[in-house]
Amino acid sequence: MELRRASSAADIATDSLLLAGGTEVVPLLRAGLIDGDSLVDIRGIVPQGIAGDRIGAGAKLAELECDPQIPEVLREACRLAASPQLRNMGSLAGNLLQSTRCWYWRLGQNCRLRGGDDCFAREGEHREHAIFANDFCASAHPSDVAAALLALGARLHTDRRQLSLAELYRVPTDDDRRTTTLEPGELLLEVEVPPAVRSVYLKAMDRKRWAFPLVGVAAVRTPAATRIALAGVAPVPWLLAEDGLDGATPLPGNAYKTEIAAALVRRARAALDA
Amino acid sequence: MARLIRTEKEVEGRYEEVWLVVEEDALEQWPAGARAIVGQPAVRIDGLQRARGEAIYTADLRLNGMLHAAVLRSPHARARIRHIDLAPALALPGVHAAAGPGEIEQLVDECDYQGVAVAAVCADTLAQARTAVAAIGVEWEVLEPLLDPDEAVRRGELLDEPRVRGRGDYEQGLAEADVVLTGEFRTAVVMHNSMETHQAVVQWVGDGVEVHISTQYIWGIRDEVAAGLGLPPDKVRVVCNYMGGGFGSKNGADDYTFIAAELAKRTGRPVKCALTRREENLAAGNRNATIQRLTVGAKSDGTLTALGGDFVNAVGWSGWSSSTEGPMQMLYACPNVKTTTYGAKINQPPMKAFRAPGFVEGTFGLESLLDELASKLGVDPLELRRLNYAETTADDRPFSGKQLLECYRRAEPHWERRHAVRARSTDTVKRGVGMASQIWYGGGGPPSYAWVRVSSDGHATVITAMQDIGTGTGTAMAQIAAEELGIPLDHVTVSLGDSARGPYAAISAGSSTTPSMGPAVRAAAADAKAQILEIAEQRGTPDAPLAEVVALLESGQILGKGARGPNPAGMQVLTFGVQVAEVAVDVETGEVWVDRIAAIHDVGRVINPLGASSQIEGGIIQGVGHTLSEERLHDPRTGEILTTSLDAYRLPTIADVPEIVSELIDQPDTHLTNLGSKGLGEPPIVPTAAAIANAIRDATGADVRRLPITRAEMLRALREAELRQREREKVGAPAGV
Repeated sequence: MELRRASSAADIATDSLLLAGGTEVVPLLRAGLIDGDSLVDIRGIVPQGIAGDRIGAGAKLAELECDPQIPEVLREACRLAASPQLRNMGSLAGNLLQSTRCWYWRLGQNCRLRGGDDCFAREGEHREHAIFANDFCASAHPSDVAAALLALGARLHTDRRQLSLAELYRVPTDDDRRTTTLEPGELLLEVEVPPAVRSVYLKAMDRKRWAFPLVGVAAVRTPAATRIALAGVAPVPWLLAEDGLDGATPLPGNAYKTEIAAALVRRARAALDA
Repeated sequence: MARLIRTEKEVEGRYEEVWLVVEEDALEQWPAGARAIVGQPAVRIDGLQRARGEAIYTADLRLNGMLHAAVLRSPHARARIRHIDLAPALALPGVHAAAGPGEIEQLVDECDYQGVAVAAVCADTLAQARTAVAAIGVEWEVLEPLLDPDEAVRRGELLDEPRVRGRGDYEQGLAEADVVLTGEFRTAVVMHNSMETHQAVVQWVGDGVEVHISTQYIWGIRDEVAAGLGLPPDKVRVVCNYMGGGFGSKNGADDYTFIAAELAKRTGRPVKCALTRREENLAAGNRNATIQRLTVGAKSDGTLTALGGDFVNAVGWSGWSSSTEGPMQMLYACPNVKTTTYGAKINQPPMKAFRAPGFVEGTFGLESLLDELASKLGVDPLELRRLNYAETTADDRPFSGKQLLECYRRAEPHWERRHAVRARSTDTVKRGVGMASQIWYGGGGPPSYAWVRVSSDGHATVITAMQDIGTGTGTAMAQIAAEELGIPLDHVTVSLGDSARGPYAAISAGSSTTPSMGPAVRAAAADAKAQILEIAEQRGTPDAPLAEVVALLESGQILGKGARGPNPAGMQVLTFGVQVAEVAVDVETGEVWVDRIAAIHDVGRVINPLGASSQIEGGIIQGVGHTLSEERLHDPRTGEILTTSLDAYRLPTIADVPEIVSELIDQPDTHLTNLGSKGLGEPPIVPTAAAIANAIRDATGADVRRLPITRAEMLRALREAELRQREREKVGAPAGV
């Protein structure tokens, strides 16, 4: 495989594998789960750093977690993600675009997410899997950061367009298995974060640090609204609807996640009111 | 003077009657208490080499011309190979040799568990070898696996005959009981996941073979490789200078050693065969899952009248059925005990010994049930344990030494903290304290030998072909030699890790290295000292310092030799302890924190208090992992292992580690060897899970029944407790009973 350094967006082919922090793409390559002819280092062309309400897509999680300009919900989501070493390397856009931790998908099985006919998790071991939108594919989206940005109502700037964070994601379906709406070769450049009056991120995981969320709850109050978004509960970051958790459709082995989500949502609301 | 005896030999809780040639242990024990060097904290003699990266582990080894092997392993829990084609692998660049099913015994085409080795390739680089393995063409016939251990027992798919043990009249004991409690306990498969994966580098030298291997048993590897390759044992040299963890999983040579040996033979080059982390999580052994259906009967004051259990060890395809019933048989003075243990043979990777195999699992079940009993009877859990204290073994043999009552006494201040801990509970976070007792082996035994060489500069070298598996036993040996010779610790060098450079040493399993090797080292040092004293006598200066006497030697040397004497006849040598855990439970989210664990253990004389506290901390941290987060998962239909990486398999992080307070009784076992020391590798992990589960009961009233205590299990237990409480309120029973 060839490693190239991109000097402009034009250097990126539609089938290029992109390298920023490498904390996701390198393990996927090593496991043989993705493959390609070239790996394109985009660190030179993707904005980094934080300027007002704009965050470079190449900013490291470690920068965000300690910057006072960043809303609390996003800082906390970064702080509770991964380990310090991974946060020093992992980029914001890479975190948003990471793949599910579904073990069947990570073991390379030909599941529905990969184009196959079965969701092995639904019938098999799914204790960490989705409790919403899980009838086709029960994978859970693992990004704490995405839930925080979804609750904040963040907007994304790519090299081609602007879109809301909610519009970045799609629930995979029989005729289209993708979980994002990015076009081939499209590059995330910046994330625009609206201010929040108050915000909070709560996370339940299997150990105290360095685990993906069983349930992550991001709650944001703006002058206009209160929004709550969840990580680890659906194939995409999940905006909680009016009916709250009543719409959950847990599988036989993961109903406990609904219970945890209910407690954390209650606590997050209380924190906003406090 | 050597003599031949018939004795019981114990390894990892398994006994066999053997003939042993032993030497007399003529030395008197030192009096109890810390001495000038033994009993004083000592930093590791090889700590700097390890910290600086100068220590060469098997994983670091790069021999000239060394090739790398990769192994094709069955991806299926049960399958047969219809056809296999190695040619595409052999055609790839860098590939030197390939071996397929039947070419050596360790490569098979009938695959009865995922991860069993099928074929292997060696190449110039590891990447080339892995690419070549991926190119091997295999046509599989996938077969239906048997995965459910209870189903295996029903079908009679057992490793061996069910093991029935007992004493007294169990049914009568139940009839005499005022209260009978039952409970079903389950423990999950957990992995050793040593930092250094299983591996060996093998090269043929002259008419023999050199095996560099990450191992717990240099001499066992020597015999196993010699037998496997048809060589005289002295033609097999086994080297393990530094070791990156084993926990029981590195007692044997395993497939990778024989694969490396075969490919090295074919290519005439050294070959390294190292498991990847993924392979480590499949094919390197595990602590098998258990199902324990337990019953306890007691008088209303807490006196036990009956203990019974059906234990199912989900062993995997091979291995052995460990003593999960051991704690129930041994821990308490109950007159009527009946246990049946089944070794269920299923299509899962074989178990291996894992840090007190069986006793960790069995203690969780037994000590949880005893705590439920205490709660039911309103008896203080510590008092319940004292009440049923065993003065002798079940077959009326004396213990060589037992300080469990002293452990209980020393636990009191930690146990007293429960009132203050509970008082810190809130509506959502409940706090409590729990305890559990520990019983396990750890006496070691003969044979084991050491030499001590003293030079004219007054420095000494301890020579023995023992392995230090990372526990610091090398440092303990240096302390013992320095103490006996009366020279400073830094005047002692320890030469170990090479079967060509020293005498036989025991396996580092069953907490046996220090109790097996320590007395031999002391005997060798004493032999050298006696020779030096003899010279001093002849010189007419019997009281001259050692340095002055040996200065006469010039190029001469004093050579002392020593052997491990027999264990005390007619006695059982065991280790004991108690742990007290403090936990907090978030009753809405099922999160459990372990805040503090106090560990009080009796392992006889402590050689190095610093190394000993490290062992306790390591055992407890591993125990916290097994209790709260670690679990190997498999697909319930295909049996495929789902947790093959360190992000899916959840070892505890440093943030999960509680405050650990360790205390050692440090009383020599007066019947055991010239040291009175037992091993400490395993005892600290034995009671941790039960202590945590019991603290959870204290905090919440919930009975946790399976390990790990995931959020799902915690929430289930809380709901069950809540229902029970509501039922009680309905019938108007007094609360809290």
